[in-house]
Amino acid sequence: MSILADKKTKVLVQGITGMQASFHVKRSIAAGTKIVAGVSPQRGGTKYGGIPVFETVKEAVSATGATASVMFVPARFVKDAVKEAVEAELEVAVTIAYGVPIRDMLEIKAMLRGSKTVLIGPNTPGIITPGEACLGIFPENIHHSGNIGVISRSSTLTYEAVLETDRAGLGQSTVIGLGDDMIVGTDFVELLKRFHQDEKTKAIVLLGKLGGTFEEAAAEFYKDLPVKKPVISYVAGTAVPFDYKMGYAGDIITRGKITAEDKKEVMRRAGIIVVDSINEIHHCLQMLKGKE
Amino acid sequence: MNIHEYQAKQILSRYGINIPKGGIAYTPGEAKRVAQRISPQGPWMMKAQIQSGARAEGHFLEKSAGRQGGIRFLTGRKDIFEEAQKMLGSTLVTKQTGAKGKLVSKVYIEQYMPCERTFYASLVIDRMIPCVTLLIAASTTNIMDMAVNEPDKILRINLGLNDKISACQLDRIMDFLKLDGKCRKGLKSFINGMHQAFMDLDAIMMEVNPVGIDVKGTLTALDAKISFDDNALFRHPDIVQMHDDYEDADRVLKAAKYGFQYQEFDDGSIGCIVNGDGIALTITDMLHNRPEQMACFLNVKGGVDKDKISAGIKIIMTNPRVEGILINILGGFLRCNLVADGIIAAASEVGLNVPLVVRFEGTNKDEAQEILNNSGLPVIMAETMEEGVEKLLKAMEESD
Repeated sequence: MSILADKKTKVLVQGITGMQASFHVKRSIAAGTKIVAGVSPQRGGTKYGGIPVFETVKEAVSATGATASVMFVPARFVKDAVKEAVEAELEVAVTIAYGVPIRDMLEIKAMLRGSKTVLIGPNTPGIITPGEACLGIFPENIHHSGNIGVISRSSTLTYEAVLETDRAGLGQSTVIGLGDDMIVGTDFVELLKRFHQDEKTKAIVLLGKLGGTFEEAAAEFYKDLPVKKPVISYVAGTAVPFDYKMGYAGDIITRGKITAEDKKEVMRRAGIIVVDSINEIHHCLQMLKGKE
Repeated sequence: MNIHEYQAKQILSRYGINIPKGGIAYTPGEAKRVAQRISPQGPWMMKAQIQSGARAEGHFLEKSAGRQGGIRFLTGRKDIFEEAQKMLGSTLVTKQTGAKGKLVSKVYIEQYMPCERTFYASLVIDRMIPCVTLLIAASTTNIMDMAVNEPDKILRINLGLNDKISACQLDRIMDFLKLDGKCRKGLKSFINGMHQAFMDLDAIMMEVNPVGIDVKGTLTALDAKISFDDNALFRHPDIVQMHDDYEDADRVLKAAKYGFQYQEFDDGSIGCIVNGDGIALTITDMLHNRPEQMACFLNVKGGVDKDKISAGIKIIMTNPRVEGILINILGGFLRCNLVADGIIAAASEVGLNVPLVVRFEGTNKDEAQEILNNSGLPVIMAETMEEGVEKLLKAMEESD
């Protein structure tokens, strides 16, 4: 078991003929991913590395039964690519590109409301269920199949969290990067819900960071869960001053002053195990393992 | 990307929003001519054009610029030349500029608008909903402080992407500000103008503070600030033209040229190169516990071009404040070997004179480590982020 993608998931690749796509598609296939189709306008009817290429997502879906998509399309074309994925009623879509305009994301979020599609990203390494499926750009050499779920708001810190589970001698059920951008397709809540329904997942590592109230929403959801799996969390940005230039002023004006410490406190009160350094995660995991 | 007040006002004016008559001047002589053209009798406002809030409350570093701040009310014609001479070429320090301040190279001269009252209006993105949110406040003092200490004093209205403001939303604003009925029509077109400009131009923040209301109930933008979404600038070549290179530090500009993010802090002596701002935040946290501080970091994001990465690394290597460098790359999209090649290329050009610790993980890690080991450069390798921080601090201590 896992969430969002496993070895049975039929995956199509939007923008399969791009230069970056070819490198990562090969690696995804080697990682076990069932890639059944590619989509590339004006290349329909051809084959790419043995994979049939279609003009549109709809055509690819009706010919192959694909239910998930990973997009290697440039940022400025992401909106159209997501629109196709949503209209084809795909269950999962992953957007790797960084630099998607915020207005496009506002429109994308409106499209997603009430749709069947869960969008992961943009600006994410994607989803990986080790040994089964990789929808994205994860490095191949650090993942091991196991029972820890990982969700991260920081793309690169996702790898750090995975390494922490490795250091604890544990593996991962599924790893998901929510995406680094200001507006992303999916939040912690949706994935915490799915990890709690997944039998294989025994504990969850959740990486937050400054900006927005994603961690607060996660804490609120977790607090009220009747049956809780252990969640270990780290929030990046404790040492960053409040008037930090990297932040977005709109966050403060709409939500007030929210520091990393505030986020940690809210999560602690909800029963989440919060660590102050990312490299403490493996100690916590080891302790949990010992208790079993 | 940010623009100046006078540019923001020109944009708002295109969207039907009233602005005071004004003109830009780079010399005192020009200032005099502008003042004469826009309002022969005065009075006038003279406003330093630097990209910072709280200019009125700021002060100039040079005594010759006088004690007043960067926004001055002038009544006599001869004051124009004198005051422009004081401000131009002087350095204005505000709460937002830091102690170094910013050089004033142009002033904006406006016709003074007498107002009965003023209020605050802005549009921002609420990333959690997500939507465009209109913020209104009766007080025009620091909105950030108000948001933190008195959030109830700000009215928040979520706007649809393409909808005009509704009658009911308009009622809420009228009520909140206790405005006279004669302002209603003007308020509606003012808000709709802001919203339309915000959407059309891919803005991420638009602030009109203050909005002035005169005896007739006419609304005027007395100050304006717009920030644009850098990722959407490809749709707006005319906005790109407005960019003022003098506003950004050299290194920020250079990094931006390669599509990287560069951030400098006030203290610290450690320079970091990372791929992802989450790593930068985490290293900052780790240093803070030691206690040490980061001087600057470069985020090469998902860069895949060796030459660009090398150019980026040089930005950090040539920063005189940097006494130790930590490179922490978790390769996914970005391949570690490209960064290794970039490090060697940069070091061979500008020399490596401070301790350098490198931690690679992920895509092509082994290849990258081998490249560096064979390079002959005195690079210290680390296996984890924590170890990287430790090793760098130790090496910096030893090299003292």
